[in-house]
Amino acid sequence: MTEYYGATVADIFDTMPKRFKPEEAKDVDILIGYEATGEGGGMWTAHIKHGTLAVSKVDELKGCKTTIHAHAETFLGVTLGKITAIDALTSQKLRVVGDIRFLMTLLPKVFVPFTVIPKKKVLTARNILVTMESLFRPERAEGVTMNIGYDLTGPDGGQWSLQIKDGKCKVREGFAEELTVKLTMNTSVYTGMMTGTIDGASAFTSGQVKIEGDMMAAVATARYFHKYTDPDAKEAEELICLRVTNSIEQRFASGPVMGKWFAGLREKKFLGNKCPECGRTQIPPREICAICRVRVNEFVELGPKGTVTNYDIVYFASPDPLTGAVRDTPYAPIYIVLDGSSEREAFAFELKKEDISRINVGARVRPVWTENPVGSFKDVLYFELDQ
Amino acid sequence: MKEDKLNCFVLEGKMALPNQYFAGRLGSRFIIALRDKKKITGVRCKKCNKTFIPPREYCEQCWTKISENWVDLGREGELINYTVIRYGDRHLPRKAPYILGQILLKGADTPLTHIVEGVDPKDVRVGMKLKAVFAEKPTNTILDLDHFEPV
Repeated sequence: MTEYYGATVADIFDTMPKRFKPEEAKDVDILIGYEATGEGGGMWTAHIKHGTLAVSKVDELKGCKTTIHAHAETFLGVTLGKITAIDALTSQKLRVVGDIRFLMTLLPKVFVPFTVIPKKKVLTARNILVTMESLFRPERAEGVTMNIGYDLTGPDGGQWSLQIKDGKCKVREGFAEELTVKLTMNTSVYTGMMTGTIDGASAFTSGQVKIEGDMMAAVATARYFHKYTDPDAKEAEELICLRVTNSIEQRFASGPVMGKWFAGLREKKFLGNKCPECGRTQIPPREICAICRVRVNEFVELGPKGTVTNYDIVYFASPDPLTGAVRDTPYAPIYIVLDGSSEREAFAFELKKEDISRINVGARVRPVWTENPVGSFKDVLYFELDQ
Repeated sequence: MKEDKLNCFVLEGKMALPNQYFAGRLGSRFIIALRDKKKITGVRCKKCNKTFIPPREYCEQCWTKISENWVDLGREGELINYTVIRYGDRHLPRKAPYILGQILLKGADTPLTHIVEGVDPKDVRVGMKLKAVFAEKPTNTILDLDHFEPV
């Protein structure tokens, strides 16, 4: 079809369903007819009815409440805002039969404006292969003799050979008689590897590239050529962003008191300790009572069930302090006073995700343990509502 | 009092810290020129008649936007200052001891700080003539210009 302003009239109608806003067209019932004359023209109808849209290409405009007539060029010009509708109407280039004001107010409301999608020029494997001779670096390929075969599948594919011999490189279509190595891959993988968007090693390990013959030759090939740069991609700006994951080693010495707490977890028990002077329980246990400042030696089993005294629902995707991975949100730490604990001696733990919507202060909760506790905080998976 | 060591144990852990560093638009262009063209580039302020390296968006003296005035600098320069790194650490680019020099390249008015190799730390002198050595394998960092060595 003939293009004007980088688009065809058919593009307008093809994209209509995508640009349609049903919620704006709930009370609308109208059949609109369109006639684009001249080259690249045609007739279409758009039926908007109670939030639905049906677009069809037709041979004649029948039963339309309103019809619009214009040359295909004017049609696109007005739709894209290159020509104002008023100018087109007054110069008679655009003709509307029926309710014109209705169209001026309705159409902008129920449709997202049409825009031209820039066509991406496709880089083919052929484009790259024909430049390989000029990218050859003879100084690096001294004494190297090899025939590399490329079996490129998919659109624009084909069979190619690249011969390196006597410090010269020759590229031709079809396979050479004796191939040192043959690489089979999709054309998109080849262009991706050559332009640097696909990593060669991972393309091979993931099975996107099949190598038959001398593997080392295939790996060495890149050395003999300058890097290919797409002449049309020069406009695109490459930005460098480095991603690294640092690993920090940590050691935590439990000491006898926290050690006892972890030993308790291994037996699915919460072991707090109790101050000999004030009788307050501490969870997790501490060596010294934080109020009386005396050594605390008596351990008591608390819970396992408890009462929620407070909770946070966290929507910020903070990193997990143990792994550095971003956490799923929302998550909810709840503050629990275990049965047998002193008043206000709450400890915090995560609530089961499914229970987040039903949590409230005063709720009863119980721990859910892993199958094989090893003596770590991860032995408790989460607390859940006790119902 | 005798300590109860019954429940004492040590927990080993490893924490992953995912990190990302954006070189910036000018920084990217600077590194890409090093990596693909083996060219050291800077930006020039026409008003102050000064050429800066590494590139910066604004002239630090008159605040004129200079991010588009790219100029190619020479691969050779003079050592105007240096220090010797004498401690080793995993994050450092070389094994200690190594020399970190400030090199005033031909055509530049500010020095570039980089590694100096091919000269013993006790023989290094201010005023030495140095030349750039580029990396074989791209790293997408300033180390695409691997180091400087005596001419």
